[in-house]
Amino acid sequence: MREITLIEAIREAYIEEMQVDEKVFLVGQDIRGGNFPNTTGLVEMFGDDRVLDTPISETAMVGSAFGAAQMGYRPVVDFMSGGFAYVAACEVLLQSAQHYFQHGGNVSVPLVITAGVGAGLKLANEHSVTPHAMFLHHPGIKVAFPSTPYDAKGLMKSAIRDNNPVCMFWHLALMMEKGQVPEEEYLVPLGVADVKREGTDVTVVATGLQVKHALEVAANLESEVSVEVVDLRSMEPLDYEAISRSLEKTNRLVVVDEDTERCGFAAELIAQVVDKSFDLLDAPIERICIDNMPIPGGYLEAHVLPNPAKIETAIRRVIA
Amino acid sequence: MKKSIDAKKGKGPKAKLSNDQLLTLYRNLVRADHFDKCYVRRIQAGQLISFYHAGEGGLAPGVGACSFLRKEDILWPHHRAHAQGHMLSKGIDLKYYLAEHTGKTTGCCKGRSSYHWSFPEYGVFGTSGCIGAGFSPTVGWGLACKKNGDGQITMMCCGDGGSNRGTAHESFLMANNWKLPIVYLIENNGLAIFSKHEDMHPTKDIADLAKGYGMPAVIVDGQDVIAVAEATLKAVEHARAGKGPYLIEAKTVRIQAHGVGLPDLVDYTPRSKEEIDELRERDAILICRERLLTEGLLSQELIDQIEAEATQEVADAERFADESPVADQLDLSDINKLVYAE
Ligand SMILES: Cc1ncc(C[n+]2csc(CCOP(=O)(O)OP(=O)(O)O)c2C)c(N)n1
Repeated sequence: MREITLIEAIREAYIEEMQVDEKVFLVGQDIRGGNFPNTTGLVEMFGDDRVLDTPISETAMVGSAFGAAQMGYRPVVDFMSGGFAYVAACEVLLQSAQHYFQHGGNVSVPLVITAGVGAGLKLANEHSVTPHAMFLHHPGIKVAFPSTPYDAKGLMKSAIRDNNPVCMFWHLALMMEKGQVPEEEYLVPLGVADVKREGTDVTVVATGLQVKHALEVAANLESEVSVEVVDLRSMEPLDYEAISRSLEKTNRLVVVDEDTERCGFAAELIAQVVDKSFDLLDAPIERICIDNMPIPGGYLEAHVLPNPAKIETAIRRVIA
Repeated sequence: MKKSIDAKKGKGPKAKLSNDQLLTLYRNLVRADHFDKCYVRRIQAGQLISFYHAGEGGLAPGVGACSFLRKEDILWPHHRAHAQGHMLSKGIDLKYYLAEHTGKTTGCCKGRSSYHWSFPEYGVFGTSGCIGAGFSPTVGWGLACKKNGDGQITMMCCGDGGSNRGTAHESFLMANNWKLPIVYLIENNGLAIFSKHEDMHPTKDIADLAKGYGMPAVIVDGQDVIAVAEATLKAVEHARAGKGPYLIEAKTVRIQAHGVGLPDLVDYTPRSKEEIDELRERDAILICRERLLTEGLLSQELIDQIEAEATQEVADAERFADESPVADQLDLSDINKLVYAE
């Protein structure tokens, strides 16, 4: 099968969905070309009324999508960097995400929020955050976070077709990562996890770049520990069944989440496991997240991020 | 080029600069240029961390606006050239910023932030990676300046792209409602990353906005550091006198790509050499130098001396940064000690 990069896979999702549904359009800063390759050339294909460049006006940028979505359009809003989504937090979290319920289910809001996220470039908090917990904390928006080109394309297509707001960030460190993507059309549904590696001793649940890290560790430990890596692909909807199925085999759990630990997704997931699957556990659960502090810039960044070494330590602790 | 927007409030006698002040402007411009070139060289050589947004062509507005502020005045500088022209003009020793930008313990943020600056003793509290973020705290700085009641003012600098943030509207609104001592400097280089100002803003002049808030405004030639300084002195005087905010739009240029290493696209096509050469023709240092030579304030000897001093200052800053220890140790045993003030 052919191999393409994650960013190219997202571009294909845009192209396919824009071809089949004229209501789909893209808004963002410098998305007509130059910013990230996921929108390169799209203005030539679809015209500049479907690939819209905006000023540095994030509030109105989301506003344009929020309003148009209520009128049957399917906008994709590209924030460039996940940290810039904070600028329009009310429009995204309290308005777009919660409009449907608040208004009696009368009006749905089918829009997609996307951006490159993730630390590693020593750029300090604003350019390094992966703020999933903020979205998850506002029921009404779905949240996906792919780890492979295949998943990125399939999830983005599902996100565009979904009748709810969906946030699908992608990790900058995976942007040029290549993977197999079929030529034929396919979807990856939101809310279906994927076991990226089978194992019997310990379950590592992760998303995005941390799936890659977990797989690296699993391969390194192969002769000592059998690690199962469950890639959730989306955190809302959450495929809890996949986690409990895995725990039935392994009885041990490590959760890796590239977001601040406190009140983060890992905390939520662990609470659910303790609630629903306590009897399956043979050891305390470990979580590896970003330490409870702003992500520093400079060389200090490396201390606070999840990484393969921390994941390995956690695995060793739960099997000890 | 200098044009008064609000004829009634915007006009008045030109502020007269002393010979010393004119030389200060020239000297600061040369220093800013040397630091800018140093950062471009270092990031290309892998000797600077994170990213760098080169200032070539756009250094005069910051220097003109900040050279004659008081030490206690509050400043939110513009990110282009990572605010070095603004900061050195305010009296800040840039070696601590270079140390930050090289991830050293002696950096102004202790090596925690790569490109953030923070010099509270000079009225520069910090910055943000979110463009346009400065408009909001500016209201608070202006309010506190007013409460302090001793003529302190706030200088808020921003690009044409940043002033498209909604925060600009809210800031202009409250600053004018409360007659706060704030000078807004819009450094309009006609570009925001790859986008042209004219595609992102419906009118040519951002200064047009001021009218809607009843705020005096003036447009100046941003390649003429003296014109910027004169306009600023007038605006600052207005603010210090308790007459409320003032907006200056300085028309300037960006010669290099948005960030070092990024493609230099405008409208998704690379800018031509001719275009860039044309922008280079109005070089702020040359314009200032010519004027001071005509006025007999500069001699070749003095020009050489200023060059040599700037070269030395940059070399000293580099030595300081390079000899400082790398900030790569973080004691996570008591995170709250790092994150919360006592
Ligand atoms: C809230 C936010 N949105 C977008 C960006 C990305 N960004 C960084 S600089 C920039 C352009 C700024 O243009 P301008 O204010 O005109 O200043 P210039 O870079 O031209 O000097 C953009 C869009 C950001 N950092 N923060």
